[in-house]
Amino acid sequence: MLRVSPMISIQDLVKQYGKFTAVDGVSLDVSPGEIHGFLGPNGAGKTTTLRMIAGLLKPTSGRVLVNGHDVATEPEAAKASLGFIPDRPFIYEKLTAGEFLRFHGGLYGLGEDGLDGRAREMLELFDLGRWENELVESFSHGMKQRLVMSAAFLHRPRAVVVDEPMVGLDPRGARLIKDVFRTMSARGVAILMSTHTLEVAQEMCDRISIILKGRIIARGTVPEIRAMGDGHDDHLTSVFLKLTGGSGLQEIDEII
Amino acid sequence: MVRAFPYLLRPHVFASRNRARRRQRGDLSRGLLFGGIGVVVCAVLFRASAWLAGQLTGYAELGDYLLRLGLSWLFLTFLSFLAFSGVVTALSTFFLSDDLRLLVAAPVATRRLFHARFVRTVVQSSWMVVIFLVPVLMGVGWARCATPAYYLTAVLTVVPFAIIPVAAGTAATLVLVNTFPARRARDLLMLMGLLFAASLVILLRFIRPEQLMKVESLPDLTDFFATLQSPITPLLPSFWAGETIFATLRGGRDLLHAGALWTTALASIVILRAASERWYFSGYSRSQEAPKARFTRFRTLDVVARLLPLSPVRRQLLVKDLKIFLRDVSQWSQLLLLLALVLLYLYNFRVLDVQRIPYMSEFLKNVYAFVNLGMAGFVMATIAVRFVFPAVSIEGHAFWIIRTAPISLRDFLWSKFWTGFVPVFVLTEFLTIVANEFLGVEPFLKVIAAIAIVFMSFALVGMATGLGARYPRFGADVSQAAGSYGGVTFMLQAVLFIIVMIILLGWPSSLYLVHQVRAIPLTVGQEIWMATCFATAAGLSVTLWIRSMRAGVQALQRMGE
Repeated sequence: MLRVSPMISIQDLVKQYGKFTAVDGVSLDVSPGEIHGFLGPNGAGKTTTLRMIAGLLKPTSGRVLVNGHDVATEPEAAKASLGFIPDRPFIYEKLTAGEFLRFHGGLYGLGEDGLDGRAREMLELFDLGRWENELVESFSHGMKQRLVMSAAFLHRPRAVVVDEPMVGLDPRGARLIKDVFRTMSARGVAILMSTHTLEVAQEMCDRISIILKGRIIARGTVPEIRAMGDGHDDHLTSVFLKLTGGSGLQEIDEII
Repeated sequence: MVRAFPYLLRPHVFASRNRARRRQRGDLSRGLLFGGIGVVVCAVLFRASAWLAGQLTGYAELGDYLLRLGLSWLFLTFLSFLAFSGVVTALSTFFLSDDLRLLVAAPVATRRLFHARFVRTVVQSSWMVVIFLVPVLMGVGWARCATPAYYLTAVLTVVPFAIIPVAAGTAATLVLVNTFPARRARDLLMLMGLLFAASLVILLRFIRPEQLMKVESLPDLTDFFATLQSPITPLLPSFWAGETIFATLRGGRDLLHAGALWTTALASIVILRAASERWYFSGYSRSQEAPKARFTRFRTLDVVARLLPLSPVRRQLLVKDLKIFLRDVSQWSQLLLLLALVLLYLYNFRVLDVQRIPYMSEFLKNVYAFVNLGMAGFVMATIAVRFVFPAVSIEGHAFWIIRTAPISLRDFLWSKFWTGFVPVFVLTEFLTIVANEFLGVEPFLKVIAAIAIVFMSFALVGMATGLGARYPRFGADVSQAAGSYGGVTFMLQAVLFIIVMIILLGWPSSLYLVHQVRAIPLTVGQEIWMATCFATAAGLSVTLWIRSMRAGVQALQRMGE
């Protein structure tokens, strides 16, 4: 059987801040066309891991490969294959949506020819077509988030890393993003997605990794993860809480 | 339990305390540097005011009169400053500050919020004035052997004096914000302030204060004093403050003017509070409305950029930087001030009358050529610290876009360098050539100065770009970034560099000119020395340029560690 090489591959990734270890030996592969959910409680190390994959943070040790390129030694080749969507969509407020996308395209080496058309196409896809010539500063959080996503897909990346994609999106926006992710995945794009919304992970992800205190504590398909719970719950919530030590929730009733 | 309004000031107190506790890299040296400068400035002010007050004592009645007038004018100057500062600060503290979202949403009465914000506005608007006034008033008191009552009165005078104009400024802001959206009002204010400053500079220059140096143009003394008085002066708080302090300085008391100060200050607080209770929320609400901003699209910029022989990445970075710069009023409006400075600079050389001392004119012209070079260097350093140094910082929280893009940080920083280099070089080269032309300096010096500017531009813009990358302030606005530790470090290094360059160029140039005037040929040894000096100057510039840029790139690369 032909083995498909992973589009995103992280090997024994460690990140330390002084004595504190934020990410502790994480290894993970995301194959082309796979949507991989990255779950974990706040402060577990999700964003740190994603930022290392995106080349924003330097790992203390370990490797990150994107499309076969090492982010540490071939950062430009690795980044050219990657689209990154951060959790907080900070973008240049004084550019219009169209200008921002054209600028972004230029950074990713897209030539002038066809860039305008491609930018317009992405804006239409993310329901921002009529805002093309408006300054980003007048956008809502959700609109900025959609603009960042349209930029991430603009250069036709082979892999996408997305941190909390549904934050600040209305149901229509969330539906749109899910559809886009599914379509991209069907076209062979590898997507690594961190989320707190377990329903989203359950609905969209082919595989899930759960991280706690910097270590991967569970990995598998949704049914496999569900089986790690007591098996009575169709939802991931109880499994997630069991694995990540959220049993303290039972005390809430007493406290309140 | 409803807590008193000072409770609302706690976050600022705690934040200051925490900042002081958790020192960051460079905090100590920055503190020492700024603290040292502050102490020196205060000492100079104290000595100067003590000396002046001491000198005036010798002129009996006239001296007293001049001191009284001086105090009144000092307070008058600060009055206008405080009012304008009050308008700008109130806009931020009452309407644009981020923490207002929390406070306005909380069950906090408008009256309490007003008190807390007004205290903050007064402190923020007036601290600089107070720091300036303290050594001046202490110096005057010391020279006049004032009693403790003088110092107590000074404190009791400065407090209401600061409150009144700041309250007026806050009221103006309240009206402004209820008329325009706050963000638009801020743009208008910045523009107004800069136009005000620029026109003041130009006006001061065009009334030709150098004429005052000529004895024959001094007006009659009585006419001169008459012009300093105006019917409106006694109605201003600055006059009351001056009178109150002057009375205690002479051992007396002026309860009328002190009373006027305090009653006006308290009345202005009460009136402003009532106005705030009535109109604050509507103004705040308007400030939250995201205006559909009007802006220029700069299509020509896109067209021109396409014609430049640049890679797509550099072209896009250039277009992005220029558009952001031109659309941000707080950035481009500084150009107005710069324009005023340039006009002033050239005008100074135009009116410089070096022919007045014929036997010195040739010597003076050539000395001025180096003064001009130094000045051009300082202008260059000032522009670089204001526009080039913050080039990395202005990427702000959007810097992740660059860092996740498949471009090298080296390309990014070099793009920033060239974007800054071209305008800085063109401007300073133009200034130097035109000023030297006005002066009529030796052709040799003209060439030396023109070439020196090329090297200095590379070095200074490189230093500004490199240090800007080493000490970025992503959360800060442009002026905060320019005034940060890195900005001050750049200015110090730039000043040192300019001095060294002038020494390295000045000595061989003067040697050459002296030999030219005396028609003595230069010896081989002297020629070697000259060449060595010029080569050292060029080498120093290139080394600084390259090393600064390399250090900047390395700092950017280390950012993710």
